[in-house]
Amino acid sequence: MSAPRSALALALEGLRARRRRAVLSGLGIAVAAATLSVSVVIGYGLGTGFHRATAAAGLPDVIVRFDPQAAPRVAARIAALPDVARYALRLEVTNVGIGARGHQRGDAVAEVLDAPGTHQGYAVLSGHDLGDRGSDVLVEQGLASAWGLALGDPFYVDGLGPQRVVGFAEGPDDVGYPLGKPRFYLSRPAIDAQLGAQADPRVDLAEIWLRNPAYLSEVLVQARATSFGLHDIRFATRSGLRILIDQAAGIVIDLLVALSLIALMTAGVMLAVSARAEVQRRLGAIGVRRAVGATRAYLTVAHALEATLVALPAASLGVLLGGLATVAPAGRLETMLNEPAPRWALAGPLLLAWLAAVLIPSAGAAWPAWRAAGRPVARLLRGADVASSGAGATTRGGVPGSSPRLRGGLVALGARMVAARRARLAVTIATLGLSAAFVLLLLALASELSSLETDPGALGKRYALTAALPPSAAARVRRIPGVLAAAPRYEVQGADSFDLGETIDVIAYPGDHTTFEAPALVSGRRLRGGREAEVGAGLATALGLTEGSTLALALADGSELRLRVAGVVSSLDDDGRVAYIPASALLGPEPAAPSAIAVVLAPGADVSTVLAALTRLGAAPTPVSTAVGRGVPLVDVLRTILRAIAIVDGLVCLYALVQACALTVQERRPAVAVMRAGGGGVGAIVRLLAGAALAIVTPAAVIGVLLERGVLGPALSHLAESYATLPLGAGPAEILAVLAGLALVAAVAVVSVALDAAREPVIRGLAT
Amino acid sequence: MSVLEARSLVKTIGTGRALRTLLDGVSLSVGPGELVAVLGRSGSGKSTLLHLLGGLDHPDAGQISVAGEELTGRGRRRLPAIRMRHIGFVFQQFHLIDELTGAENVLLPTRLPGAPAGGARRAAELIERLGLEPVTAHRPHELSGGEQQRFALARALVNGPELILADEPTGSLDVENGDAVLGLLRDLPRRAVVIVTHEPDTAAIADRVLRLAGGQLLADGRGP
Repeated sequence: MSAPRSALALALEGLRARRRRAVLSGLGIAVAAATLSVSVVIGYGLGTGFHRATAAAGLPDVIVRFDPQAAPRVAARIAALPDVARYALRLEVTNVGIGARGHQRGDAVAEVLDAPGTHQGYAVLSGHDLGDRGSDVLVEQGLASAWGLALGDPFYVDGLGPQRVVGFAEGPDDVGYPLGKPRFYLSRPAIDAQLGAQADPRVDLAEIWLRNPAYLSEVLVQARATSFGLHDIRFATRSGLRILIDQAAGIVIDLLVALSLIALMTAGVMLAVSARAEVQRRLGAIGVRRAVGATRAYLTVAHALEATLVALPAASLGVLLGGLATVAPAGRLETMLNEPAPRWALAGPLLLAWLAAVLIPSAGAAWPAWRAAGRPVARLLRGADVASSGAGATTRGGVPGSSPRLRGGLVALGARMVAARRARLAVTIATLGLSAAFVLLLLALASELSSLETDPGALGKRYALTAALPPSAAARVRRIPGVLAAAPRYEVQGADSFDLGETIDVIAYPGDHTTFEAPALVSGRRLRGGREAEVGAGLATALGLTEGSTLALALADGSELRLRVAGVVSSLDDDGRVAYIPASALLGPEPAAPSAIAVVLAPGADVSTVLAALTRLGAAPTPVSTAVGRGVPLVDVLRTILRAIAIVDGLVCLYALVQACALTVQERRPAVAVMRAGGGGVGAIVRLLAGAALAIVTPAAVIGVLLERGVLGPALSHLAESYATLPLGAGPAEILAVLAGLALVAAVAVVSVALDAAREPVIRGLAT
Repeated sequence: MSVLEARSLVKTIGTGRALRTLLDGVSLSVGPGELVAVLGRSGSGKSTLLHLLGGLDHPDAGQISVAGEELTGRGRRRLPAIRMRHIGFVFQQFHLIDELTGAENVLLPTRLPGAPAGGARRAAELIERLGLEPVTAHRPHELSGGEQQRFALARALVNGPELILADEPTGSLDVENGDAVLGLLRDLPRRAVVIVTHEPDTAAIADRVLRLAGGQLLADGRGP
């Protein structure tokens, strides 16, 4: 028989002899491969989604929004700009009533294309684009999926009547439905053909493609200078959109990558120690084979083949299951973000994940076999045990002349047995500790998402209501019972004078704004003088602002404000692109800045009473929306993903503990058999393994908590600090939940392995 | 009254053409204070018989009772309790646990769930009686073969069983240590002892010697 065939035969023989162990190893590899696959599908999909979307849709370099203007006038302004390759104009009509397939909405966004054709900043995924005639609509993919629309379906639009769905599109300039509002596209020439041409067609959005995007800043400066006659101009650049979209996906990707690395490390390490233990048990057989002429390479290949034969189907199954389980939710998330699914582009990364899941266990088995086969044959034949019970024997358990004692009984014995393999114990504890830390982090993050969703105070907003009343009404509002404080809240859109692509939400209060809004101070101090500003962390990051820097604000009317940055605060509003300034500084150049009265309620105040009183004053009070109120579907998807990650993480913990317990029982079969021969039943084995599990879980829990609170939580908070302060240190509830989870996982591992061990005939263990 | 009563035990292994009858209607009765040796060649079924007598394996037919408790037909939950209270095992390979000292190994059965009280006292007495006091705190690898087997014997006795089953108890010992261990087994008061061995010298200390051959247990006729 040739050497490769002989090695294969030896590997198959090994597998047949150790079927249960092979199944356990296979499960571990499958879990790791599934985790990797999940990470690849979600991580790759989200990480490259914006790039795919912009490539497919031909996203413009800059999108300009303004108050509706005559299309020829806007076209003339754009024609005056340098370096413009092409442009497209449209009218964005909001709060449009639509209906199809039994669904209805009254808040849809109709994108009326001034001149349909190519380069409209969206990709047609199926069907065809709009033409100059016909009652056609292009519906955004997210809306089509949510409503189950098909090509050719009737689509009712208020004011136009029934239209026909001719295609589905994705426009990456905004998030899709249900994350954003339902959106569809119409052709103005087609509408004109139906209803008659308008005398003065208006547009309020221009998409501009540049010949050389490197000149974006210069074009924006020029655009600002030549935009006279256009009001309420807001610019959005491609990089700005990307930041917006990426922020949603960033944390998820970071978590997934970290978790898959942990899972891979866990599986790799556990498989490696398992393989090492296996090799150690078979030292005698290796010695005999070496004695009769088997080479070191042959034995190594045989062991590697044995591991590969287990890894091949397990990794394939894991990658397949992980992929299948994740493709659909990842696709939904991508559709929400208006990004196309990667489809076949996933094949390469998934293949790499599969290769890693096969090669790591194979290498983990080959290495100890290579090392063992290199030992002197005489030593191998003696089959030296790996138990570290050699030197350093202690006098625990009694000294001559004293009563013998067995401290801790079977539980302590189990702990001592598992501690005999120090390296494996350390690795298992580290694995479990890391996994526990990640679960803690996920719980803290989920809790933070919940608080952001339900508690405006989490963002530093202390006012509960706003009332559409003039500033002069603040004194009257303050007199309403239950109102603690009330003041005009001015809010305008500005832009950075040096980089006009960066829009800024400017908020101003007369006096101390922290009474109404006190987002956490990241650095510096609060406002003191009249020419100072507190800027959001997102804005500080985008513009490179620090304490003492100058914030140059270009306001809508063309005036400019120069303010000294006093401090940097965290805020999720407008992705942290906010600036808090004194009202006096804003009202100088913009005396008619829009405002509403912000109302802080007294503790225990009756909200309905206050609302009724405000209504009597003629106001239309509005409760404060939370940071993620508009993005509830995204938060739901994030929660689903976090839950999936936590489940996989839990499986990793379970696998690590089952492996540790199973290896302990496997290696100590004679000891367990003697105990059973002496009358020990399942209960005795459970106690023994409980000790082993305790020896692993207790330090792992401590490490997990310390790691999350000291390293992972602060690290993730740091990642997110560009746009929000997320205090991600786990609290007592999360810690208790993780401890309970660890206890449950340990109990499952202990009981399952104990029942399994008790099924083995005692005499088989004695014969080992 | 007998401590051990086995009647018409049958045990086969393998299936089809590979079917082999190891025990074919074996009966055995051992009283308190009696030491019975079962002699036989390798593969004759000695260890299988011992495993059946100790409730570690089930016969295909026949009945076994130990100290008045029926072993055959008992479920997996009840058998360990019977073994704990009534049966002690001594193995050729000692099977001491590496992580425990000699004394702790003796104490191990006393810490099993349901073990009779007073284990520590009995362990101390046994250690003293077997002359193991100077090495109580030693780990197995620090003990001689004889010392290890004496600790294993103490472990078998610590819960006060009426029946001791010894499988080649001197197989891993030199002559001197082997004799010492056999002497201890010989002098166990009020206990029924069954030794299986292939060495006639070991069997020589028995009150009764039986030979297992062809699945039948026959009187050897070489007893004292």
